[in-house]
Amino acid sequence: MTEPVIELDNVNLTLGSAASRVHVLKQVGLTVPKGEAVGVVGPSGSGKTTLLMVIAGLERPDTGVVKVAGARLDRMGEDGIARFRGRNIGFVFQSFHLIANMTALENVAVPLELAGAADAFGRARAELDAVGLKDRLTHYPGQLSGGEQQRVAIARALAPEPAILIADEPTGNLDQETGRQIADLIFETQRRRGTTFVLVTHDGTLAARCDRQVRVRSGAVFEGGDAAAMAAE
Amino acid sequence: MMAALSGRIALALRFALREVRGGLSGFYVFVACIALGTAAIGGVNAVAQAITQGIQSEGRTILGGDIRFELVHRTATSGELATLRGLGTVAHSVNTRSMARLADQSDQTLVEIKAVDALYPLYGDFVTAPALPLSAYGEQDGAWGAAVQPILLERLGLSVGDTMRIGDAIFDIRAAIAAEPDALSDGIGLAPRVIMPLAALDASGLIQPGSLVEHAYRVRMAPGTTGAGMRAAIDAANRAHPSAGWSVRTRSNAAPALAANIERFAQFLTLVGLTALVTGGVGVANAVRAFLEAKRDVIATFKCLGAPGGLVTLTYLIQIVLVGAVGIGAGLLLAALAPFAAVWALDGVIPLPAAGFYPGALALALLFALLTILVFALIPLGHARDIPASNLFRNRTMARRGLPRAPYVLAAGLAALLLAGLAVWFSDQRTLAAGFLAGVAIAFVVLRLVSAGLQTLARRVKGLRGTSARMAVGNIHRPGALTPSVVLALGLGLTLLVSLALIDTNLRQQIAGNLPERAPNFFFVDIQSGVVEDFAALVEGEAGNTGKLVRVPMLRGRIVALNGQDVAEMDLPPEGAWVLRGDRGITYARNVPENSTLSAGAWWPADHAGEPLVSFSAEEAGEIGLTIGDTVTVNVLGRNITARIANLRQVEWESLAINFVMVFSPNTFAGAPHSWLATLTMPGADFEREAAVLSAVTRAFPAITSVRVKDAIDLVNRVIGQLATAIRAAAAVALVASLLVLAGALAAGNRARIHDAVVLKTLGATRATLIGAFVTEYAILGLATAVFALAAGGFAAWFVVGQIMALPWTFRPEIAAMTILAALVCTIGFGLLGTWRVLGQKAAPVLRNL
Repeated sequence: MTEPVIELDNVNLTLGSAASRVHVLKQVGLTVPKGEAVGVVGPSGSGKTTLLMVIAGLERPDTGVVKVAGARLDRMGEDGIARFRGRNIGFVFQSFHLIANMTALENVAVPLELAGAADAFGRARAELDAVGLKDRLTHYPGQLSGGEQQRVAIARALAPEPAILIADEPTGNLDQETGRQIADLIFETQRRRGTTFVLVTHDGTLAARCDRQVRVRSGAVFEGGDAAAMAAE
Repeated sequence: MMAALSGRIALALRFALREVRGGLSGFYVFVACIALGTAAIGGVNAVAQAITQGIQSEGRTILGGDIRFELVHRTATSGELATLRGLGTVAHSVNTRSMARLADQSDQTLVEIKAVDALYPLYGDFVTAPALPLSAYGEQDGAWGAAVQPILLERLGLSVGDTMRIGDAIFDIRAAIAAEPDALSDGIGLAPRVIMPLAALDASGLIQPGSLVEHAYRVRMAPGTTGAGMRAAIDAANRAHPSAGWSVRTRSNAAPALAANIERFAQFLTLVGLTALVTGGVGVANAVRAFLEAKRDVIATFKCLGAPGGLVTLTYLIQIVLVGAVGIGAGLLLAALAPFAAVWALDGVIPLPAAGFYPGALALALLFALLTILVFALIPLGHARDIPASNLFRNRTMARRGLPRAPYVLAAGLAALLLAGLAVWFSDQRTLAAGFLAGVAIAFVVLRLVSAGLQTLARRVKGLRGTSARMAVGNIHRPGALTPSVVLALGLGLTLLVSLALIDTNLRQQIAGNLPERAPNFFFVDIQSGVVEDFAALVEGEAGNTGKLVRVPMLRGRIVALNGQDVAEMDLPPEGAWVLRGDRGITYARNVPENSTLSAGAWWPADHAGEPLVSFSAEEAGEIGLTIGDTVTVNVLGRNITARIANLRQVEWESLAINFVMVFSPNTFAGAPHSWLATLTMPGADFEREAAVLSAVTRAFPAITSVRVKDAIDLVNRVIGQLATAIRAAAAVALVASLLVLAGALAAGNRARIHDAVVLKTLGATRATLIGAFVTEYAILGLATAVFALAAGGFAAWFVVGQIMALPWTFRPEIAAMTILAALVCTIGFGLLGTWRVLGQKAAPVLRNL
């Protein structure tokens, strides 16, 4: 087995105020080796997205160890995590979250600029070319279709060549055909680059394309099972 | 380290420039408020600089010479004149007041006479219509020539070419005055100007020993004479004639009182402008908060992509400053144009050079505006700094309440202190400026407390019947309610409005309402000793049994030394300095004068024959640090006389009766020629009776100057009216800022409540229910704000009128009613304006777009 890129050990997280505290993650353990694609499925409110946020350092667990790309996120400060994320984690969201006042090229260049990359715009252009948008460089998000916006988001996520790609329902806002094309693009790129991939989805077919599936239920993580059945559940 | 920092700033600037492509949408109120405040502060200061620099650069014209030596009561002696002529070309003019009468003596009015020699004016142009040389005003067929201000023609119903009488002489009005270049240095006149040759004044018989006359000797020195040269000339003249008692002014200080007043007024208006800016700051805070709220996802995205919080804050701070720069730019443009408008408007009033560019004034406005933006933007920015990246995954969390991280609070506090510090630093009257700013700060805090109290009260209201009332009360306290914004924005504007209105009406009431009842009907000046008994007999006969004539001897004198020390070398507080400035009326008396009471010391015996003694007004003595036993040296008629302070008097100045700062023992001026000053009080006298007395006095004693007190009060009222208009115009800027903020806050609130309104409509609420709820809510907010404004504005007005001015103060119910009405019109009007459109729409299209 290759070295693990994501290691969660006995992670617990409670959210909410004193009156209505919810134990969102319960004694979660998860190890993802380098280059593996993991599909996270489970019913709404089960804790899938929270699991993703803990992996990305967006939520700090109450207890437990979170080690990502060799770094102990549970011990890092806010700005340190932000910089770590910029270098090591790429995000793809259901709602794309492109910056409306920036062109496609500028959107993709942002993480590279933040990381202090020398040729941010050259690399951003190459990434957009790779996702088939070389003719849309100067278009603003509002001038692009949903599929094109998600391609820009994928290019932006992969531009800094992160160790980990995190996707939260990346096809959720797209029609079936566009969704399939986007999924193809993500998996093809992820495999070509050897990027570790964590995918949260309700789509069993999509989860089934991952190397491994985990199921989240009531804050607990379970390994394996039939992806389609789990997603349906 | 520095490279990393500059790299971060460059990156934030790049991101900010990309982000501002979104335009100014949502920032209109922000931009307008900043533009308004910047324009007000920059404009006021630029205009003041234009005027003061104009007075400076046109000093020679305004003064009518390079140096002006002024003597009261007397002409220069031949020795003095020889000294002055040794300095350069000397022009002589005489200023006095008298009555101008119609040829048939059926009407008369007070005039300000300036008699000039052939050299007038040494600098500038004396312009008349028709244009006539001074030689054209000589005697022709027994009548002298005069040029008069058009207002005199209007007052007496005369035209150029008609005849009038002044003193014993007949004058042909040969021209109307269009421009009198040195008018400003003669002070602001109470009456229309008449310019005549010196010989004509002699012929009028107005100049008698002791007459209230100012002789001005203006000297034109050799071209290129420097300030040092002028000072040396003045020193030489003073050394040659140490007892001359003249007051001296140079071209670099041509109209000191006017320049000081303009500066003081500009400083006051700057504070009002700053209030506009600070009021607008509420709009800045609202706009920034709304902007950052709309940018939550973008901020979270930046953070997800690896941006540290500080970089995000810097990116948005730059954007806010860039948007502010649009407002500042617009404001500075208006401010830069203001001096040009002022020079155009003041054409003919003040000889100003062409308007210029006043970078200092604009820089001050720029600094104030930038600091205001920082004060009001840093707290919302601090909240934005803490928007978590996880926002992209979860439903929006509520905006963080309370204060942001300490550095943001400290930075905002520091900017506020810097803003206040600069405002106080740039003001001459620092205590007043600090008090004004403290008042604004307290109003801010109290308004926040008022809104918090209102929300707490609304939260506690239970068991209300009727959907509208329940919704209205709920809207007042729900999270994101309009209450704080509306109460703050409207409260500041209304408080300013109420305090100005109450101060204005109280002052007018005091001057026009209370005083004339106690004040005399007439002042008579320049009554010669030889005619004083005849005058008294005539006036007492005309005034009847109820009339009361009071007469006192009157001289003019100038304080030259206190306890032997030259007053020119003393540094005295501004409140007492007026006593030492120029000439004062002085008198002597055997007994304690009416309207004064001894507060310290003892009055001299009626036959006191020893050392000259003086009774000093207690308040003024306290201000310049004098006490019993000190000596005062006054120059009267070219003689220095030293008297010892024997007692102090409390003087009731506001009675308008005859009062003097200094009353001397009778032996002080034994044998000195002097005139008399008299007042006539005729309780219940109407205009006709007053006119009859005036006519009789003027006809019998043409050299006596009569001033009808009601005319003088009208004049004061007019001046107060003009000042009030200027202050109201400045306050209007603050009010407009306040209304802009209010409108902005209500518009933002309306956007938020469209959702509620439409959902309620789909659930069956009628438009009447919704309108009822909104009207009730806006009315409660308006009323609460009005009550605060009445209390705070009333307190401020009471403090200014009752405490600072020490005048009786009354609350005016009509102002209370107007305030409540204005508040309701603003809140309900602006509020409904926004919601009306929404209520008229069908629910479905709005729901689809929510």
